[in-house]
Parts: sequence; structure tokens; C-alpha cells
Amino acid sequence: MDNFTHEMSEKLVQYLDGTLPVSEKEMLEQQLKEDNNLQEELKSLQVTRDAVRLFGLKQKVAGIHTQMMKEKQPKVNQLYTSRKIIRYAMAIAASILLLFAGYTVYNLITITPEKIFAANFQSYELVTNRDGNDSESFILKSYREKKYAAITDAVYDDSFSAEEFFIRGLAFTEQNNIDSAITSLKKVLEVNKTASKSAYNDEAEYYLALLYVKNKEYSEALELLTKISESSDHLYHERVSGKLIRDVKKLKKR
Amino acid sequence: MEVIRNFPDSELVDNLRNGKKLEESIKAIYRSYFDSLSWYVMNNSGNRQDAEDIFQEVIVNFIDLVQKDKFRGESTVKTFLFSLNRFAWLNELKRRGKALAREEKYEKAQDQTELDTSYLMSNREEKAELVRLVGELGDTCQKILVLFYYENMSMREILDVTDYENEQVVRNKKYKCLKQLEKMINENPALKETLKNLLHG
Repeated sequence: MDNFTHEMSEKLVQYLDGTLPVSEKEMLEQQLKEDNNLQEELKSLQVTRDAVRLFGLKQKVAGIHTQMMKEKQPKVNQLYTSRKIIRYAMAIAASILLLFAGYTVYNLITITPEKIFAANFQSYELVTNRDGNDSESFILKSYREKKYAAITDAVYDDSFSAEEFFIRGLAFTEQNNIDSAITSLKKVLEVNKTASKSAYNDEAEYYLALLYVKNKEYSEALELLTKISESSDHLYHERVSGKLIRDVKKLKKR
Repeated sequence: MEVIRNFPDSELVDNLRNGKKLEESIKAIYRSYFDSLSWYVMNNSGNRQDAEDIFQEVIVNFIDLVQKDKFRGESTVKTFLFSLNRFAWLNELKRRGKALAREEKYEKAQDQTELDTSYLMSNREEKAELVRLVGELGDTCQKILVLFYYENMSMREILDVTDYENEQVVRNKKYKCLKQLEKMINENPALKETLKNLLHG
């Protein structure tokens, strides 16, 4: 290359490009036949030109390759997206299931009859005697004064009224004598049934249900709780929630 | 919307040889053969990127061979491409120093016969080196040379897509760029010698 003048080099490039005037082309071709160095230089230029063509072709293919990979991608993406959605949905479902299972297990472990009783039991308050009526029975008066032992120790010649059985039931409850409390409250229901009355019936049913829970008599408790829950006019209807019934059912299943 | 076409072998080869519908024809090759050829690479120690690189190399070589009239239709395009692909990948593995497992998972198509295309795909590394050298030219040189020698654009047309004042300036620039590339190639005599045989053989 160094042996060539710039002019000759330009002519060779023009020859390579097919732009050399015919008269000069014939002259150059004659020179090429006779000059090995000139032939070498032409070959060198041809290699260089072909290198550019190869590069151009590679670029072209690379451009189309990018397009074609994109053309193929949507299917993959779509598939990937749907797979991703399914995977997320499954993950969410699994999480919810896990939370639910955890919550259930937690509840099963932590729910106790005592806790349910404590959460739902409220000491019964007698309606205030505004007129200072001295005719109030001993039992009612004692209950108001929280003399629970006096109530449970009292013995009458006559049988107790439904109201008195109810107060006695509460007094036994306050003293944590559950069995006796249950017996007294059951008496309320029996007396009312016999007399076809309903005084303190709703109250007795609610407290009796709680006492059954505390005493782990879940079937009896559930029977009463369900009854209260299904009777919208029951005095304690609002106090018996679905959760309370579910919790008792869980205790029963243990 | 793009019309997706498949070409019979003869039409496909004609298109590649004459540069007519080149893009459409290359896309047809992709749609027909990319999956099966890349499957071969990916099932013989290659990954997705390897498969894509080899496929591009196969396409470039196939077009180059067709344009140099070295593919004369002795086999189907499919068989030919499979052979090129296989050789290119085996050669690449060899270059990387990996031996392909004896139980090569290569499924031959029914009409496929084993072709020896190794001689057509020789000097892979030299070709790659050559392309790398062109890539080392500045952007302007690359652009002018490619537009002139690959896209076959005239000086007038190149002037329209560049910022030069006139055709003579473009011509001078193109000359300088060509000589610069020639010099870069000649600085590697072994490469130059191989390429003389390869590109002109």
C-alpha cells in the first residue's frame, strides 16, 4: 500500500466501486495484469469491502432478530403473565388459607370455656326500687345488697317463685357454684312452664347457656344459644353473636 | 398489519440472492426454523442466548453463501440450515473447550440427510474478528461504508441522509474510511490472508 500513490489508490477504489471511467478502467486492468503489488492492493480493498458487506448483513439480521424475538415474546409474556397471575392468586389464596388456619389453630388453642364465660357474663342488676318498697322479698333485697350466701342459704317452706329461683341461680353463680346455679336456673324454666308463664325465662336461658359453657356442657349450651340467636324477640338476642356460637362449637369439637 | 408469508425454497433463495424482499424472507426463515434450530443448541449444552447468537450467524452465513452462489439447491433449505447450525454450534463448543455429550440430542427431520457444510462455515473466528474491526470504526465511517457497500446507495442518496455539504465531501470521507478499515485489517496479516481466501474463495 505504501508503494502506491494516493492517486493510484483512489483509482483502485473507484475501480472497486465500478465508478472508474471506461478509458481509465482498461488502462488499470492492463496494469493489474502486469503488477502483482497492484493486484494485492486490489485484493486487500476487496476484502475490506466484503468485510463491510458482512458487517452490514450482520446488522440487518440483528435488527430483524430483535423484531422476531419481540414477535415471539408476547406469547411468552402472555403465558408468563397468566402464569404470574395464577401464581399470585395461588400465593394469596395460600396466604389466606394459612392465616385462616393459623387463626383457627390460635382460636382452638386460646379459646377456653372460662374465657367465653368471662367475656359474656355480666352480673345481673335488679331494676332499682324507686319507691323504697319494703315489701321486696328477702332474696331480692339480699341480692341488691350482694349478700349472695344469704340467698343460697335461705330455706323457705313454700317453693321459690321463678324470680326467686332466678336470683338464687345468679347468687350461686356469683359464688362460683355452677352446678347449683344451673339447677336453680333450670327451675325457672320448669316453674314457668308449669305455670305457663314466662317471667325471667329469657334471662334464665341466657345465663343458663353461659353456665353450661363454663361447665363444658356444650350441647346444652348450643341448644339454648341457637334458640336465643334465632329468636329476634328474645331479650338476649343481640347478646348472642355468631362468633359466640362458633366458639362454643369449636370447644365442643375439641 | 404485516403480512406473514412463507416462501417455497426456490423463491426464498432467489429473494436472498437478489436482495429482493430480503427482510420478509429473513423473517420467514425465523418463523420456520428458529424454534427447531435453537432447540438443538439448547438441548446440547447451550442456553437461549447461545441459540440466538448461533441462529443469527447461520442466517448471515446462509445469505452470504447464497449470494456467492455456493448454495445451489442440492438439499432443502431446512437441511442446509440444520447442517450449518449444527456445525456452528459444535465449532463453538470446541472453541470453548467443551466436548458435546456423545448422546447428541439431535432430531433429524425426515427429509434431512447429513450434510457436510463445515467447509462453508470455516473461519468463524476470523469472520467474527472482521465484523468486530468494522464495529471499531467510528459511527460515521460505519454508516457511510454500510450505506455504500451494503445498501448500494449512491453518493447522492448518502448525501441526503448525512450532514455533508456535497457529494465530493461524502466521496472523500468514504475513501478515507475504507482506507482506515483496510489498514486495520492489514495490521493482522494472518487475518487478512485467511479472509482473502474466505471472502473471495
